[in-house]
Amino acid sequence: MNGQTDTSVPGQTIAVAAEALYLANLLLLPGFSFALLLWLFFRHRRNGAPLARCHLRQTVAASLWAGVILVIVNVLILATGGYQSANVWMYVIIYFTVGHSSLILLGMVGLAKAMAGRAWRYPIIGMQCDE
Amino acid sequence: MQFQSQAVAKPYFIAAIGLFIGQILFGLIIGTQYVIGDFLFPEIPFNVARMVHTNLLIVWLLFGFMGAAYYLVPEEAERELFSPKLAIALFWIFLVAGALTIVGYLAVPYATLAAVTGNDLLPTMGREFLEQPTITKMGIVVVALAFLFNIGMTIIAGRKTVINIVLLTGLTGLAVLFLFSFYNPINLVLDKMFWWWVVHLWVEGVWELIMGAILAFVLIRLTGVDREVIEKWLYVIIAMALITGIIGTGHHYYWIGTPEYWQWWGSIFSALEPIPFFMMTVFAFTMVNRRRKEHPNKAATLWALGTAVMAFLGAGVWGFLHTLAPVNFYTHGSQITAAHGHMAFYGAYVLVVITMISYAWPHLQHNAPASNGRAQLLEMWSFWLMTVSIVFITLFLTGAGILQVYLQRVSDTPLPFMVVQDKIALFYWLRLWTGVIFFVGLCLYVYSFFAKGKETLASS
Ligand code: HEM
Ligand code: HEM
Ligand SMILES: [Fe+2]
Repeated sequence: MNGQTDTSVPGQTIAVAAEALYLANLLLLPGFSFALLLWLFFRHRRNGAPLARCHLRQTVAASLWAGVILVIVNVLILATGGYQSANVWMYVIIYFTVGHSSLILLGMVGLAKAMAGRAWRYPIIGMQCDE
Repeated sequence: MQFQSQAVAKPYFIAAIGLFIGQILFGLIIGTQYVIGDFLFPEIPFNVARMVHTNLLIVWLLFGFMGAAYYLVPEEAERELFSPKLAIALFWIFLVAGALTIVGYLAVPYATLAAVTGNDLLPTMGREFLEQPTITKMGIVVVALAFLFNIGMTIIAGRKTVINIVLLTGLTGLAVLFLFSFYNPINLVLDKMFWWWVVHLWVEGVWELIMGAILAFVLIRLTGVDREVIEKWLYVIIAMALITGIIGTGHHYYWIGTPEYWQWWGSIFSALEPIPFFMMTVFAFTMVNRRRKEHPNKAATLWALGTAVMAFLGAGVWGFLHTLAPVNFYTHGSQITAAHGHMAFYGAYVLVVITMISYAWPHLQHNAPASNGRAQLLEMWSFWLMTVSIVFITLFLTGAGILQVYLQRVSDTPLPFMVVQDKIALFYWLRLWTGVIFFVGLCLYVYSFFAKGKETLASS
């Protein structure tokens, strides 16, 4: 990056880490990455810099939503004939193309904003950022 | 604008965008027919609308390439265009010929069109992407030759830069390879084999040269990075494109009756085809990160970086997905192919043409290096709307493709084609609605040309 963006805003490293962990949870290491994210969240929840808190709140909220969606998908599968039925693939693929990819998209925008040192609230599933 | 004659690019860009709108409208029509079979039937049958969709795509991209060349070549050669009058005349010939062809598709049955245009004298019609009547094809050749003459003379008389030479090579290759559309042997294997010399060697060969040259031209202006650095990248990129792309044609020779060794040649060389696309991504980001000035046209930078990323995703990643013979054995001609076709065409060629328009338009229209802030903001919104839409269109088609391949070809109890199509209709609905959002993005793009800013811009 060029000189301008190198002088980082307070909390930027944590903000970037939050978004990166969020994406890692969706793409590489589910579970483990989320645990790390939660740990970061609870450490900086009260007295972290505003930028860090903003990104932490978004990523934790979105991760929880990701969990909720997974539960819904599984309930739908069970309700419509169980894991052996022909509909399973349909739900799984719809989940990946609509749900999972939208969550990734949010994470990518969030990461870009964090790297630019800017606060950003995830639309719909995100949480308010202060100031 | 440094040279008066660069202005001939303007009508080309306008026509390109106009035909782009037409392409998407017909995309929405066939997208609807996918889920409501008798939509607009019998007025506009699916096969006709599909032909209009794909042919408009090719024609508007050609308009875009030509406009780009008319803008770029004089500036690189540091002299006026050899003949601006010829360029304008060719514009009208190409536009009228194109329009007549589309009207022909829509007004009469295809067989009638073939009969009245004398297809039996020199049969070339009836093959995907090359559906144009033979006389239209001849018109295309004439326009292409006169166009090459015009920019060739400009380059010969002027400064010979790497960008100009690469562009001219790409455009010459485009014209020469199109000649294979006149070769239409009775033998279906030979027919298909040489059909790909147009289709594949265009998009995975000479068009990459055109794309590389346009990107390099725009990046030099936007970033102020030394020409020598950018030229070195360009050399390596086009070398890789040709080394991998030419023999990579073999990835279309797996199942058409050609010898079996093509499964090896095609798989190995086409598996390397993502390399030049990946290099273009690294190239664009490296140049922007090393920029030596802040160019006021932020929108053009976004389009340029978008091209680099989306071309790699669409051509590189989605191409690789189905290019190895053992995979292609299952996925050949499925919705996976369509998914890849949409993202690759959009990511590489739609975006590179819009990058050029975005860079050149402020110079052509306002004699300024950039449009006003509001216009740029709208442009950037349209970039995101169209790009995110094509990503989702690609994902839905990929989803449809995975199910299609599984249910129809992999499963122990394979289902018939139409039964499967019924089962995956939900994906086609999702594709259609995403297409509507794409269209909204396109409308926003058109609107950005007319948006007035709050502040007035100093002219350059
Ligand atoms: C910008 C560049 C590219 C564009 C515009 C493009 C576009 C297309 C289109 C439209 C088709 C469908 C042709 C048809 O109607 O049958 C196709 C097929 C195919 N493409 Fe590409 N492509 C590009 C690059 C690549 C690359 C780099 C690869 C490999 C890594 C690739 C692999 C394939 C394969 C294997 C098929 C055949 C699919 C089948 O068997 O049905 N493409 N491409
Ligand atoms: C509004 C969005 C669009 C919709 C709803 C749409 C829909 C369609 C449909 C239904 C087909 C026919 C598939 C078949 O024959 O089974 C098709 C083919 C095609 N479209 Fe689109 N399209 C859209 C946008 C685009 C764009 C932006 C591009 C290029 C950048 C494009 C390029 C193509 C190509 C190359 C084919 C031939 C694909 C192949 O043979 O695999 N379309 N489109
Ligand atoms: Fe190919």
